[in-house]
Amino acid sequence: MSEHHEQSFWSKYIFSLDHKVIGKQFLWLGLFFVLFGGFQALLIRWQLAYPEQPVPWWLLGDILFSGTGGIIDPDKYNALFTMHGTIMIFWAITPLLIGAFGNFVIPLQIGAPDMAFPKLNMISFWTMVLASLVLLASYLLPDGTAAGGWTSYPPLSSPVGGIAGEGQTLWTIALTLAGTSSMMGAINYIITVVRLRAPGMTYFRMPLTVWGLWLTSILNAIFVPVIAAGLILLLMDRTIGTQFFISGGLATVDGGDPLLYQHVFWIFGHPEVYILILPAWGIVSDLLSVFSRKPAFGYKVTAIAMTTVASLSMLVWGHHMYTTGMSPLLGKSFMFLTLLISIPSAMFFFNWLGTLWKGSIKFDTPMLFAMSVMWVFGIGGLTGLYNATITADIYLHDTMFVVGHFHYTMAASVLFGSFAAIYFWFPKMFERKMNPFLGKLHFWVSFIPLNYVFFNMMVLGYGGHHRRIYDPSNYDFIKPMMWLNEYITWFAIALGLAQLIFVYNFIHSMIKGEKAEANPWGAATLEWILEAPIPHGNFETVPTIYNGPHEYSNPKVKDRDWISQSEPISS
Amino acid sequence: MMNQITLWIKKQVHLFKKASWGLWFIDPPKDVSLDGYRIDKVIQYTDLVITIYFGIVILAMLYFVVKYRARPGHKADYDHGNSKKHVMATLAVGLLVFFSVDTVIETMSFRDLKEAFWNFPKGENVVRVEVMPQQFAWNFRYPGADGKFNTDDDLIPAQNQMHVPVGKPIVIQIAPWDVIHSFYIPNFRVKQDATPGMVNAMWFQALETGEFEIACAELCGNSHYKMKGYLTVDSQEDYENWLLSLAPEDDEEDEWDDWGDDEETAASDGPPADWGWAWKEIK
Repeated sequence: MSEHHEQSFWSKYIFSLDHKVIGKQFLWLGLFFVLFGGFQALLIRWQLAYPEQPVPWWLLGDILFSGTGGIIDPDKYNALFTMHGTIMIFWAITPLLIGAFGNFVIPLQIGAPDMAFPKLNMISFWTMVLASLVLLASYLLPDGTAAGGWTSYPPLSSPVGGIAGEGQTLWTIALTLAGTSSMMGAINYIITVVRLRAPGMTYFRMPLTVWGLWLTSILNAIFVPVIAAGLILLLMDRTIGTQFFISGGLATVDGGDPLLYQHVFWIFGHPEVYILILPAWGIVSDLLSVFSRKPAFGYKVTAIAMTTVASLSMLVWGHHMYTTGMSPLLGKSFMFLTLLISIPSAMFFFNWLGTLWKGSIKFDTPMLFAMSVMWVFGIGGLTGLYNATITADIYLHDTMFVVGHFHYTMAASVLFGSFAAIYFWFPKMFERKMNPFLGKLHFWVSFIPLNYVFFNMMVLGYGGHHRRIYDPSNYDFIKPMMWLNEYITWFAIALGLAQLIFVYNFIHSMIKGEKAEANPWGAATLEWILEAPIPHGNFETVPTIYNGPHEYSNPKVKDRDWISQSEPISS
Repeated sequence: MMNQITLWIKKQVHLFKKASWGLWFIDPPKDVSLDGYRIDKVIQYTDLVITIYFGIVILAMLYFVVKYRARPGHKADYDHGNSKKHVMATLAVGLLVFFSVDTVIETMSFRDLKEAFWNFPKGENVVRVEVMPQQFAWNFRYPGADGKFNTDDDLIPAQNQMHVPVGKPIVIQIAPWDVIHSFYIPNFRVKQDATPGMVNAMWFQALETGEFEIACAELCGNSHYKMKGYLTVDSQEDYENWLLSLAPEDDEEDEWDDWGDDEETAASDGPPADWGWAWKEIK
C-alpha cells in the first residue's frame, strides 16, 4: 500500500486521501471553531453580567453591535447562545476528538495502512467544510443566524415561531450536512477497526483510545440518521409548508406534534453526549497508563464498562423530558435506566485510580490534562444525578444548573481530553515538541477559572436562575445573585485569555519547536514505532502484534520500562 | 486611622469571600410550598453522597500523586489489575455506588412522586386554574360560580396575574397558544412545560401569603426573558374578594379585545375566548 508516487499540492494537502492529513485538516477546522464559539461565550457572559451595557471594544463591541451602540439586543443574544452551542458541539468538539484524532490515531494504533475507505474519508471532511460554509453564511443574512437554541424546539424553530429570517433554515441544512459528514466518518471508522487490524491485534489488544472512538462511531452510525430525519422534517416544515411539529393555536391542520421532535432530538441527543465523551475516556485511560508507567488497571473491565455505558446511553433520552408532560411510567423507567449508568462509570473511575496506584507518575502536560478529566468529569458525572432524579429535576430543569452540569461533562471533560490528546500526539503529528512550560502554564490558568465558571453556574441554577434569559436582573429572585454573574464573567474572560497561551505554543512549536524523537513519551502503542515523516500508507511492512497496549514496567523487559505492541517479549 | 485600616481589611476579606465559591452565599429561593421540602431534601441527600464519593476519588488521586510520583529509585509495579480479586473489587465499587446513591435517590423520588407530585388532590376545596401561556404573557382563568370552564361566568384576571388562596391545593391545567413555554415558580419548586397540542397538569399548595414571581423556563422567543407573571397568595378572604372583583361585567368582550395589544413584542394575537380544551378530571 505504501505508494511513493509524486503528488501535486492539491492531492497532497487539500483533497488528500491520507488519513493523517485529513486528521490535521479536521484539527484546524476544530481549533478555528473552538476559538470562534468560545468568543461567542464571552459575549454571552458579558450580557449576563452587565445586561444592556455596551460590550467593550476589546470584545469587539463597537464592530459587532454597531447598530445598537455596542449593546447586544435580545434577538442577537438568542442568536449568540444558539450558535455557541451548535458550534461547540458539532463544529468544535466533534471535529477535534472524532475527526482529528479518530482519523489520525485509529489506523496508526491498529497497524492499518489507512482508513478502509480513503475517498469516503476525504468526502467526509469536505462535507464538513460545506456544512461550515452554510453555517457561516447565516451570519451574512440581514436578520442574522438561527436563534432557537441549540435544541431548536419547534414550533419556535418553525416558520410560525416568530424568529425572523432564514438563519434557522440554514442552521437546519448545515446541521444535516454536518451529520452526513459524521455518518460517513463513523461508517469508515467502524469498518476500519473491524477489517484492518494488523495480525495479532485482537479486540482486547486495542488501545482504549481506539475502543472509545470505535464505540463512538457505532453510536454515531446508529443515531445521527435519527436526528437527520428529524431535521429534514423540520426543514420541510420551514420550507414547503408541512406541519409535522406544529400543533396548538398556530397549526392550521391537525396531527402535528412538537413532542415528537423532542423525542427524535434526544434519542440522538443523549447518545451524542456519550459520542463526545467516549473518545475522551479512552484517551484518558491510555494516558494515565503511559504516564504512570504501569499497565492500565483492569483493561478489559474498562473496555466492557465503556461498552455498557454506550449501550445504556441508547435508553435514557427521556431524562431530558421529565417536565414535558410525558407519561409518568416512561419517566420512571428513564430515571432507573439513567441511574444504572453510574455502575459502569464508578467502575472505570475505580480503574483509573487503580492505574495511578503503585505507578511511577510523571507530570507531563498531557498527564495533567488527563488527570484533570478525572476531576471535571467526576463533578460533571456526579451532578448528573440531580438531573436524572425526576423530583430534583422538576426544580433544576432548564436552569443554569443544567448549563453548569453539561459544560462540566461536555465542555470541560471533552475539551481537556482534547488538550491532553493534542499535547500527547503533537510530536507525532508535527514532528516537533510543544513547549512543556507553556503547556503546564496553560493547564493551570485554564483549570482554575474553568472550575470557577462552571461550578458557579450550577450554584446559580440551584438559586433558581433559569437559562437562556437575556436580562437576569429582570427577576427579583435573581437580583441578589447578579454579583456572581459578574465574577463568572471575569473568570470566563480569564479562561478565554488563557487559550492564547495555547494558540501561541501550538503555532510556535509547529514552526520552531524542538525536534521530537520517534517516541518521546516511551509509549507502547504502535504509532510510536514509526519514524517521521510517516509515509502515505504508514507501515513499510504490516506489523505483527504480540502484546497488549500497556506493557509498561514489565520486569521481563531489560533497559527500558516499555515495550511496543509489535515487539515480542523474550522470556 | 486604625479604624479605617480595620474597615479596609474587613472589606478586602469580604471581597475575597465573595470571589471564592458562590455556593456558600447562595440559597435557593425561600420554599413556601407544601411539598417543596421534598425536592430540597433529595437535593441535599445527593449533595452529601456525591461530595463523599468525589472527595474519596480526589483524595485518593492526590495521595497517589504524592506517594507514587516518579523519582529516582522508584519503580512502577507491573500489575494489570485483571486478577479475579481486582475485578471483584471493581464490581463491588460499582454496586456500592448503585445501592448507596442510586437506589436511595430513586426510592425518595418515587415516594415523593407517589405521595405528592403525582398524587393529585380531589374534592371540594381544590382550586382549579387553567393557564394558557402565549408569546410573551401568561393568561389565567378561573371557572366562576358554575364550576365549569368555557362558560360565560369564567373569571379572567389581567394578564400575568394569578391569585391563589393559602393552604388549599391548587390544580393547574396548562396548554400554550403558540410555542412551548414552561410554567416555573422557583419559590414553589415547581415547573411544568406547556406543549402545543397537549394539556399538562400539576398541583401545589401554598403555606404562606405573599407575592412570588412566575418565570417562563423554556426558550420561547426574543422576549422570553420578559415573560414574567406574579403569583399572589392571599388569605381565603382576600382571595374571595379578588374573585368577586373579577366578576364579568356587561361588556366582557372588551377584555378579550385588549389581549396582546399592549404587548408590542407579541408575535401572535393571542388565544380566542374559547381555549379549545375542556378541564380533564384526573382519576
